[in-house]
Amino acid sequence: MDERLRRLRAADRISAPMVIKALLPTLVRQHGDRVLGDDQALTAGFGRTAQQQGLAVLGVDRGHDLVTRRQKNGGALTVAGYRTALRVIEHAEKFDLPVVSLINMPGADASPKSERFGQSQAIADLIAAMGQLTVPNVVVFLGEGHSGGALAFANANAIIMLDDSLFNVASPEAVAAILHGQQTVSDAIDLLPMTASDLQQRGLVDHVIDHTQPDLVQVICQQIMATVTDLKSQTNLTQQREAKFQRFMDWWSEQ
Amino acid sequence: MSHYPAAGTWTSCPACGRHVHQSQWGHWQQCPYCHYWQRLTATDRVAQLVDSGTFMPLKTTAKSHNQLNFPNYDEKLEQAERKTGEAEAVTTGWATIGSWPVMLMVMDSHFMMGTLNTSVTRRMIKAMQAARQRAVPVVIVTASGGARMQEGLYALVGMNLILAEVARLAAAKLPLITVLTDPTMGGVSASFAFKGDVIVAEAGATIGFAGARVIQQTMPTTLPVAFQSAERLLEHGQLDAVVVRPELRSYLINVLASYQQLGRPDHG
Repeated sequence: MDERLRRLRAADRISAPMVIKALLPTLVRQHGDRVLGDDQALTAGFGRTAQQQGLAVLGVDRGHDLVTRRQKNGGALTVAGYRTALRVIEHAEKFDLPVVSLINMPGADASPKSERFGQSQAIADLIAAMGQLTVPNVVVFLGEGHSGGALAFANANAIIMLDDSLFNVASPEAVAAILHGQQTVSDAIDLLPMTASDLQQRGLVDHVIDHTQPDLVQVICQQIMATVTDLKSQTNLTQQREAKFQRFMDWWSEQ
Repeated sequence: MSHYPAAGTWTSCPACGRHVHQSQWGHWQQCPYCHYWQRLTATDRVAQLVDSGTFMPLKTTAKSHNQLNFPNYDEKLEQAERKTGEAEAVTTGWATIGSWPVMLMVMDSHFMMGTLNTSVTRRMIKAMQAARQRAVPVVIVTASGGARMQEGLYALVGMNLILAEVARLAAAKLPLITVLTDPTMGGVSASFAFKGDVIVAEAGATIGFAGARVIQQTMPTTLPVAFQSAERLLEHGQLDAVVVRPELRSYLINVLASYQQLGRPDHG
């Protein structure tokens, strides 16, 4: 496997539960979508930071060993996961809690079960609801996130990425596949803007964090808090969020 | 024209492989042997749905180009333009359906599999804004493989932007009717297709997020019978109706008439 991808998918990679533990010592876990079940890949809930800031969190991770990877479906969220996330952000909106998402997930869960329970509907609902939040929302890419599933979490006022993480319309493997093997997976990473530095230059990503820093978890928490504080001082966050993506797309000029 | 039959020619049916003459496909473009519904071009779809002569396309200046220099994208765009005579994968315009005014958007799977890109996003947003100005319901006929990979995240964020516009339509209490046709997948399925107030699918359409081929590559498994078919989605409670092509127009007229408070003689 490509070295960059191997790092993102490694067992000892920094994970959402690690950051959430440091960020919210008083975390109240929210489990399940009340209908289909509970998705183990999602760590969700709300609580207060050490500085007494209330936050809602959504973490998606792949698991760190064979057993947890299986429980968490390798980080590919199921319909129950998206619907739980939807419930959590509706709760956050109600109680005026900024939403922080931390993700490292492959593309969609390609399975008959997810299709059976309306994966499209679940993702569409989450993207739409994230877009309409009046509370601030922030996403942190701890690894990779691709396609509609990651976009649902990334429809945010601010996007933070670790410097070696990836965000794209599809996984590098899928990009290589549409080129019928003319390019390797490693080459595919360079064909489209998906690295943190490239996306920062293009104005989509707001902050990039060096993943080699010693107190990485603390650095991430500080960046989240600084970003949330900044966003809280702004008015009309729904409009700000849409304008951010509009500005990004406007680079793609029309002729 | 791809597999689409030109006048006086024979084509093989994409479903059963039998050779079918143009005259046999008929007005509704259905295979006489296996009853497969041929994928329609946007032009044919518009003609089948609207009151004759009422379609007024919105002016579009958008022409897509390969801004990220993705391999072979220029050639693909050029081929698609030549094949369809259209500049992009969606056609937008005013029309009346059973004398009910609508803003109609029709995606065309013959143009790069109807994929959603920056130009398609812009066209759709412009159309919804126009509909809101005139307080007219919106009908979207989807036919798409999802987001256009060649435009990367620039295509993907179109889902956010279109859904933001859909929220404004909802705030203005204007109905959004989505008609899911073959195929409706990926980023189109996981955004506006499933955000309609009424969601109807054409009989025989394949609708889903991850396609059957991708699923089987990920986990070798036997897929259920009629997997991702419109009929199966209806059984599973994901659609309001499955309608055969000849009845789609009258179905839409009934839906529009049922939102009767919006009744207006013309486009104002």
